[in-house]
Amino acid sequence: MGDSEFAYGSSMSVDSMKTIAESIGIANLGDDAAKELADDVTYRLKLIVQDSMKFMHHSKRQKLSITDIDNALKIKNIECQYGFIQPDSLPFRFASGGGRELHFVEEKEVDLSDILSAPPPKIPLDVSVRAHWLSVDGVQPTVPENPPPLSKEAQKLESVDPISKLSKPTNKDAAGKPMCGKAARLKASESVHVKQLATHELSVEQQLYYKEITEACVGSDEGRRAEALQSLACDPGLHEMLPRMCTFISEGVKVNVVQNNLALLIYLMRMVKALLDNQSLYLEKYLHELIPSVSTCIVSRQLCLRPEMDNHWALRDFAARLMAQICKTFNTSTNNLQTRVTRLFAKALQCPSQTNNETGVGPSMVTSMKESEKTPLASLYGAVQGLAELGPEVIKVFILPRVRWLGERVEGALSGLGGADRLAAGNLKHQLLKVLAPVVRQLRQPPDLPEEYKRDYGYLGPSLQQAVGKIRSSPSGGGGGGAVAVVTCTPPLVPAAPSPSHSHISHGAKTVETIATRSVVISAAPAPQSPAPSTPPPQKFVIVSQQKAPQVVSTQPASGGHIVVHSSQPAIVRSQNVQSVVVTSGPAGGAAGGAAGGPQKVVVVGVQPPHHLAPAAAPAQPSALTAAHVSQAPVSVVAKPVFARGGAAPPPPELDDLSHLA
Amino acid sequence: MAEKNTPLLAVLQLLRKYNLKGTEDILRKEASLGDVEFENLDLPEVELASILTSHHTESDPYSYEFAYDNLKKFIENSLDVYKHELSTLLYPVFVHMYLALILYDHNEHAANFLEKFGVEQEDYYQDDLKRLSIVKHKDQIKGNELAEIYSTNKFVVQLSRDASSQLKRFLQEQKSSTVIINIINNHIQVEVHDGPGRTQAQVRSTTGGLLGEATKNENRTKVYYGLLKEPDIQVLPAPVEDEEEAEETPDKPKKKKAKKENIFMKKPKSDPNAPPNDRIPLPELKETDKIEKGKAIREASKRIQLGPESLPSICFYTLLNSGHTAICTDICDGSTLLAVGFSNSCIKVWTLTPVKLRGMKSAEKLLDIDREAGDVLVRMMEERDRDTCRSLYGHSGPVYKVAFDPFKTMLLSASEDSTVRLWSLQCWTCLVVYRGHVWPVWDVRWSPHGHYFVTSGHDRTARLWATDHHQPLRIFSGHLSDVDCVQFHPNSNYVATGSSDRTVRLWDCLTGTQVRIMTGHKSTIFTLAFSVCGRWLASGGNGELIVWDISTGTPGAILPPLHTAPIHALAFSRDGTILSSGSLDCSIKLWDFNAITEEANGEEVSSTNNAVQKEDKYLLRSFATKNSPIKGLHFTRRNLLLAVGSYEGSS
Repeated sequence: MGDSEFAYGSSMSVDSMKTIAESIGIANLGDDAAKELADDVTYRLKLIVQDSMKFMHHSKRQKLSITDIDNALKIKNIECQYGFIQPDSLPFRFASGGGRELHFVEEKEVDLSDILSAPPPKIPLDVSVRAHWLSVDGVQPTVPENPPPLSKEAQKLESVDPISKLSKPTNKDAAGKPMCGKAARLKASESVHVKQLATHELSVEQQLYYKEITEACVGSDEGRRAEALQSLACDPGLHEMLPRMCTFISEGVKVNVVQNNLALLIYLMRMVKALLDNQSLYLEKYLHELIPSVSTCIVSRQLCLRPEMDNHWALRDFAARLMAQICKTFNTSTNNLQTRVTRLFAKALQCPSQTNNETGVGPSMVTSMKESEKTPLASLYGAVQGLAELGPEVIKVFILPRVRWLGERVEGALSGLGGADRLAAGNLKHQLLKVLAPVVRQLRQPPDLPEEYKRDYGYLGPSLQQAVGKIRSSPSGGGGGGAVAVVTCTPPLVPAAPSPSHSHISHGAKTVETIATRSVVISAAPAPQSPAPSTPPPQKFVIVSQQKAPQVVSTQPASGGHIVVHSSQPAIVRSQNVQSVVVTSGPAGGAAGGAAGGPQKVVVVGVQPPHHLAPAAAPAQPSALTAAHVSQAPVSVVAKPVFARGGAAPPPPELDDLSHLA
Repeated sequence: MAEKNTPLLAVLQLLRKYNLKGTEDILRKEASLGDVEFENLDLPEVELASILTSHHTESDPYSYEFAYDNLKKFIENSLDVYKHELSTLLYPVFVHMYLALILYDHNEHAANFLEKFGVEQEDYYQDDLKRLSIVKHKDQIKGNELAEIYSTNKFVVQLSRDASSQLKRFLQEQKSSTVIINIINNHIQVEVHDGPGRTQAQVRSTTGGLLGEATKNENRTKVYYGLLKEPDIQVLPAPVEDEEEAEETPDKPKKKKAKKENIFMKKPKSDPNAPPNDRIPLPELKETDKIEKGKAIREASKRIQLGPESLPSICFYTLLNSGHTAICTDICDGSTLLAVGFSNSCIKVWTLTPVKLRGMKSAEKLLDIDREAGDVLVRMMEERDRDTCRSLYGHSGPVYKVAFDPFKTMLLSASEDSTVRLWSLQCWTCLVVYRGHVWPVWDVRWSPHGHYFVTSGHDRTARLWATDHHQPLRIFSGHLSDVDCVQFHPNSNYVATGSSDRTVRLWDCLTGTQVRIMTGHKSTIFTLAFSVCGRWLASGGNGELIVWDISTGTPGAILPPLHTAPIHALAFSRDGTILSSGSLDCSIKLWDFNAITEEANGEEVSSTNNAVQKEDKYLLRSFATKNSPIKGLHFTRRNLLLAVGSYEGSS
């Protein structure tokens, strides 16, 4: 409308006229004639376009379509142009040559037989009507059918410039509650500017939603979890709950890292993933909570109870991918996110004796170092993985120079005795080869000599040479930058069963078996297969049946839920270091279910002498059983969720998360 | 050669016109003009006048620029009191100078002139200028819609008495250039009004029409904007649920109901502005119509009072998989049926209640029915339940508007194929095809009392029809461009039209004359809505929303332009407290109509500059939809707002 440049439109050029004339067999059109024609054609075309605008408006569109032009031609008694049906705009191509310039529309030759033999296109779906509430008494409900109450841009603006929210006094957005009555009048009469408080209240519905979602995300039902994650990834109206969600995740990670609870860590990371995937959320404000959590899951020394068995590698891989996604999305020149993350991982890779190493002191120095000073292999693995996800350039700069030292660590561990260490070293080696091979391939020229590799890369040299050779020979491996991870479709990460075989992701039957054996551990006293000799500091039993007894023991507030879990739990665990035992035997818990009629609960809290039971909580017999149990072995089944449901014939008592411990 | 002779030919033509044979002969001899040219003397009247009046300046295209500059300087240097009124002169003078330059083949100069001064014109004229700027040759003036409008009509400019005398003085001083005087004499109609000069805001509120402002004289006729006296309708025994309520608390509810009904009955009686009930012959109510009316009144008694404190709930009907094909929607008065017109010529009707759509029985079966039976209306319908959606086929072009009649038995549709069709919602077939419009029909609306309907179209007319006549009863012509929307007044006596010439006009159905012309819109008007009381008319254009006072024909309130795309839907709540607007920018806005009318009653168009304040005052709430442009709005009898839009994908 009021734009400064006053362009009254373009016009057809004389050259176009000549070209068009040529195309229909008029060899040399005079300049005058071409000019006359160009002017006239321009005029007529503009008239038609002006008229077709009317049809566009009356079709209640804002985009001119070909049918509008057809209709405009029709009212001018001109036959319409048939066959120009195009869903999108046609790109004009430009060509020049022989001192002439041309704009044209590319027309591809179509093979009719292709069209004839192709399967008929799908019939378009019929129009249907669907109703939803856009507003209820003036408030817009946050359902997927409605747009997100606060657009991503607005969230972004708010996180960059929080004052912007306050400077807009009357928020006429649909999401907020209408300001009415007293508040409005007060506002009108007020002469002093009072800083508005941003409200952080959650409605009852939102609280319920929060409770349901968090319970489902860390709960035992895989189906419900999938739904919950889906909701987190898609629902538009979550931004008000984001602070709480992020706190939930970060606290959850803190607690469960201490307790080495692999499964819950995985669930929490999946929540992070879902939140990252949500198009309507802007997470920058909460990165200070999310990044430590995610990086913990990448480089933590220990993430599970049995490092030699459980597949915590998968968690590290997954979290590393998340970190890469975060970096990619939120890195700006002001927050230097990627630099900071890279530095974090690089630090983990820093060998304590790196300076020595570089000055040429032999490997004996390194190996002679005290074991405790070393960064654990698992953390090394995580750091390597974390860096690898950030791209080939990062690999080149940060991993490649340290490959000799890493190789020594691997060599040392592989030759050592510790089974866990050997496994870790194997994994690390495999990962290093996988990550480095494509980069090395780019760096080095084809004659790959094992000796050179050995000289440059130390212990890993020969293996690396083989890997590089393999990539070079395989045609598909030429993709380059093999470190670029496939971020999509991660399989549901499930910790491996304590099977004697090496760790890998397992599903279904195996996990069920785990639970079965576990339940045996708990309920049947004479079968003491304590799975883990490694004892984490706090020890707990939490076994809760899926049948909720309505009369819950008094120590457990019915509505406790997760909010209490992530906030209060670590305090108890760390400070008191007591054993809290909650045992509820399900109907199938044969031995424990002396009274098979209904679920019984035994609650032991703060057991100094393990035989002390909560008064009147349960009949004598099961309590004795549990007591015996607790004293017997520190079986860590804390918060081990159940991964499959109803698979085994007798439904095992379900292991639920920490929520019931409140 | 011939071009040079044009003035001579013009003179010859003039001489011949006045039958001055002797002079003519001498002139012919002297100029040595051939017979051929002489025979072909048929210069158009307009051109002739221009040539004769100003052919001495024709040789000097620079004088135009100079004259325009002078006029501009004069206006800039005049007192603030006159400045804003006088500045409305600039645009028509500019346009006619441009056309004159083109007419005299100074094409280069015309283009320069346009480039130099075009930007300075008011922003709302820029679209017109763009349309005009494609005229670059003398031959193109003839046949160009806009150029013809300008050259055959006079542009109306309103000046205060003082301002006009200032102008006169200026014109007398500028003896050297007659260009401006010629233009003002020939193409501009200066309306002198008594009273002080208007402020910028006041001027701006009424300018913008294709041909300037409406003159005061045109809006003198009295308009009976009051409501008709409603015929007494025996309220039928209330349905079961009401009975139960009544039984629970035997006395009170009944009294309340009675009172409310009284309000409905009494209000029109005391209205001095209401037309006599028989001013327009209205159809007798049929038995079925009475039942429907009774229902309406019963429903209305359960209506929720709306206001700034209690906003309506909105139920949004999304048309899925429709893409750009769904064009228009309508929801019947009882809010049970939804009709949608598509660009592929088809019309679909959905039921919004669990009651399925039924057809009538076949003719043979209808014979068997006892016509005296009480439930004949039920019996004639098919027993079998049908679908929730039925399609009507018959048009051969996009359907631009569908409309349910007040009694839910018929449907009208207007289409690009220049026909209007009447459909039966009992037989589900087309009953009548009304042919009359020459070009596409943009809009069709029923009279609130049924029987009559009004259509408008590309042929610049609106037409009033009765369902039992195949030809229009009245043709309302006068608009200078497409008539894009029409609306019946609640008392069925008047029809309002909105057009691409940016005027809203009100026509009397009885006489067929134009009784109001309202200017102030700066863009095409796409939709109109009368307030429940009948005094106010809301009109929506490309983001603009204006509420007019019918009694005076002046803008009562110009709402802040918060919509960023054309407004295609307007609806008043049934109690008249809330105006809702739906736009292609995928948002619905609710306006406090009480505040708007209070403002308009209190003071004449006040300062428009404090838009922010106004926004706070008028706008109650804005609701965004998910990429679904709003195509229809409807308040149910209980004041629930129904909105219809088609989802256009997530892209």
